[in-house]
Amino acid sequence: MSDTVKFKWNDKEIEAKKGSNLLKAALDNGIDVAHYCYHAGLSVAGVCRMCMVEQNGVPRPFPACNATVNENIEVRNDTPKIKEAVSATLQFHLLNHPLDCPVCDQAGECGLQDNYMLHGKYDSQMTDKKVHKEKVQDIGCDVMLDAERCILCSRCVRFTGEVTKSSELGILNRGDHAEITVLKELNNDYAQNLVDICPVGALTSKDFRFKQRVWFLEDVHTTCIGCEVGCSVKVSQNKNGAYRVKPVLDEAVNGYWMCDDGREIYKHVSSPTRLHSLVANQQSLFVPAEEASLKEKLKNKNVKLILSTHLTNEEYRDVFTKIKDLNLAARVEVALYRSPDVGPIFDGILKRGNKNANLKGAIKNFEQFGFDASDDHCKKLMANVKDSDAVLFVLPEMSQSLDHLETAVKQISKAALKCAITPNEEWSFVRTFDFLCPVPTFLEKNGTMLNYQGLERTLVAGMSYGDNSKTVASYLDWV
Amino acid sequence: MTEENGLTDKEKANYKDYALLSYHHIPGVHNLEVFEKAGGYEMMKAAFLKDPEAIKEEVKNSGLRGRGGAGFPTGVKWGFFTKDRQAQKYLVCNADESEPGTFKDRYLVEKNPHILIEGMIISAWALGIQKGYIYIRGEFYHQAVTLEKAIKEAYAKNYLGKNILNKNFDFDLYVHRGAGAYICGEETGLISSLEGKKGQPKLKPPFPAIKGYRGLPTMVNNVESLAAVPWIMRFGADAYKKWGTEKSPGTKLFSISGDVNKPGVIEVPLGTTLKEIIEVHCGGMKDGHALKAVIPGGSSAPIFDAETSYAVKMDYEDVAAKGSMLGSGAIVVINDKRNMGDVLKWTLEFYHHESCGQCTPCREGTGWLEKVFKRRESGKGLVSDIDLLDKTAASMRGQTICALADAAAMPTQGMIKVFRRELEEYVSTPVKK
Repeated sequence: MSDTVKFKWNDKEIEAKKGSNLLKAALDNGIDVAHYCYHAGLSVAGVCRMCMVEQNGVPRPFPACNATVNENIEVRNDTPKIKEAVSATLQFHLLNHPLDCPVCDQAGECGLQDNYMLHGKYDSQMTDKKVHKEKVQDIGCDVMLDAERCILCSRCVRFTGEVTKSSELGILNRGDHAEITVLKELNNDYAQNLVDICPVGALTSKDFRFKQRVWFLEDVHTTCIGCEVGCSVKVSQNKNGAYRVKPVLDEAVNGYWMCDDGREIYKHVSSPTRLHSLVANQQSLFVPAEEASLKEKLKNKNVKLILSTHLTNEEYRDVFTKIKDLNLAARVEVALYRSPDVGPIFDGILKRGNKNANLKGAIKNFEQFGFDASDDHCKKLMANVKDSDAVLFVLPEMSQSLDHLETAVKQISKAALKCAITPNEEWSFVRTFDFLCPVPTFLEKNGTMLNYQGLERTLVAGMSYGDNSKTVASYLDWV
Repeated sequence: MTEENGLTDKEKANYKDYALLSYHHIPGVHNLEVFEKAGGYEMMKAAFLKDPEAIKEEVKNSGLRGRGGAGFPTGVKWGFFTKDRQAQKYLVCNADESEPGTFKDRYLVEKNPHILIEGMIISAWALGIQKGYIYIRGEFYHQAVTLEKAIKEAYAKNYLGKNILNKNFDFDLYVHRGAGAYICGEETGLISSLEGKKGQPKLKPPFPAIKGYRGLPTMVNNVESLAAVPWIMRFGADAYKKWGTEKSPGTKLFSISGDVNKPGVIEVPLGTTLKEIIEVHCGGMKDGHALKAVIPGGSSAPIFDAETSYAVKMDYEDVAAKGSMLGSGAIVVINDKRNMGDVLKWTLEFYHHESCGQCTPCREGTGWLEKVFKRRESGKGLVSDIDLLDKTAASMRGQTICALADAAAMPTQGMIKVFRRELEEYVSTPVKK
């Protein structure tokens, strides 16, 4: 493009759009520039004073976050003057910081720790009494505020002002007594993003607090299955389980953010209700069962297969291919169960009412293989279940409309054999089923999904928490 | 000064010695009627007959420099302003005079509010501005009342309002009282406050002349700068330049406080020696004490010892050459009975209290400077703390959005430079609080 220009940052030649943010251009090109208040998804505050640079022909150092890219400018932040300034400013940041890293959840991914190791390493001369502010404040939406740890970068204030436009947060008082405060309790669907954008441990998640040290976690970059948006996310996990979900920058889909509902998607993955084998219902208690017993019961039965909208494109394809390959079309009838909309179609930020994560992908595959994906067809199929039939119901991995799902389950209850294909036995109405067949969760499979825009997003398998899970298609082998 | 020698009010105006205080000796000049009889608003009427560009040129040629403290040439600043006369834009008079030691604007407007209003109308005409605000320090209640009364009088005469004197020119003027923050004297902090936001300076660029109040072009000028405009219109740039030095032309108001016999506000040509100001205009040192030091430009200006004080000429260049700044012209005279530690302590307390808290070096630095300097109160003060103070102050300079960090750091470093031994003794002497 013609408006792309070249400039130099510490002698490194960088190409960026003319007039774009100077700091962003450096960061996007892999240059590590210390900064706290700048966030590409928010307006510029220019208050942390960490990204100071010098430029040829400009008399005074200035913050790169408030400057723009121009052709052939030469910018440096490796001069002795700037290095000294950054170190001194870091010292100011840490002056009244409580240094309670051993009990702080941010430790290990904290901007203060990281920059101290890179730009600080001075001996503190602070022997005076620190300024004390209020700690352990529950400010709503499962967000905890520790005003002492805060460095007043104002990212959180700008987020509630600019992104959610709910403006719950503000800065009270002046000087070193300034502190973040809630004007009213947090009340928005994106509050957990505050925890992500806080560069220090001032805002922490009530859900994640004290559960795990971040250096014991590994991130899996995958896609959220909470609704049809399909935000790019990373799930932090280790062998003991999954612990949290955070958004990953995806300009086309979710930008920098994700909604609070999406933060919950990890919970069923390593929950105690996970199935570890095929189980059979014995007086409303599920006990491990032999595969042969289910195979026996399925034999020669007419099967109604109800798929959920949480499967990957590949899983739909495998199911339909198997039906074709095993010539099951005469005995197996397929339908697609959709969860009803929750809330408005679109909230103006990210969240959408349609919770059927891979609806587009499902419809595409159904049609491709000549199956009917319509809701009417599904309703008809469920209404027409006979007492001689077997029903294989692939339950949605998660649901915000459990009543609707329960009604659907009740509808098929007169079938001779009812099997739920699901990763866990959390919901009480699964006792309607005779068998529960374990399948992997979204975090345990590779595959693709189509979001509401028709964009393909990838699911990536991390660690596995459910033993003996089988794919949906493989259960068709028993039909 | 109010002798009746059969002179008309107009003849009583002392244009010869003063540009700003020409009318101050006339009783009741805060009333429009008296002010007009003495020649007030003549220049406004004359200005309406002139080309706005010619007025801007005249102000530029006069070499008038911003009297708020920075000393940036007013005419040049006006030159940056949009020439689109139709566009919505604002003229803001900065009357948030809060620097410790400064009280010149207060004196100017409480005695003669109309000179400011006349200056603002002429400036608005020159710049094609339809709306003006006088942002006045909240504590100046009586001055705000005086200004509001004067504005009302000007409206009644159609010097303000719609279609002023049938010249097809609208100018509305409002008084806005601040809420007591020093930082709102910084022009972008002032704009934030005027917008109803927390009084915090904004990042520059964009500068207010491009994007100011409500995101529209805004010209912010000091009271004294605007009040000098009518005189420059009356007698011309060349006459104005006869006062002062080549680079610092004109007269300047100085507010003198401290250990002198006659503290107060004076108007003298720039370049007048500080010795003359103290010895002649202020009647010398009070109670026969010796001069120890002078803060020449308000609390943020580095201090001068007695020797330098008597050598310095009060213009922008000479004060800067001797290591301080003219600032707003607030001269604080300190005698040899004063402890410089106390002076610095109060200075540091002030800046700690007034830091807006946005930028980290200032927010944390101003507080820490005070704490380090007050370690003596817990018996922990060391001589080496002075080096720590010096280093800390140095690292605050040039690192923040506005100049408040510098305003706290400069006097600290300046004081250490001149009175290090006294400060060392001060910090290392434990005291009970």
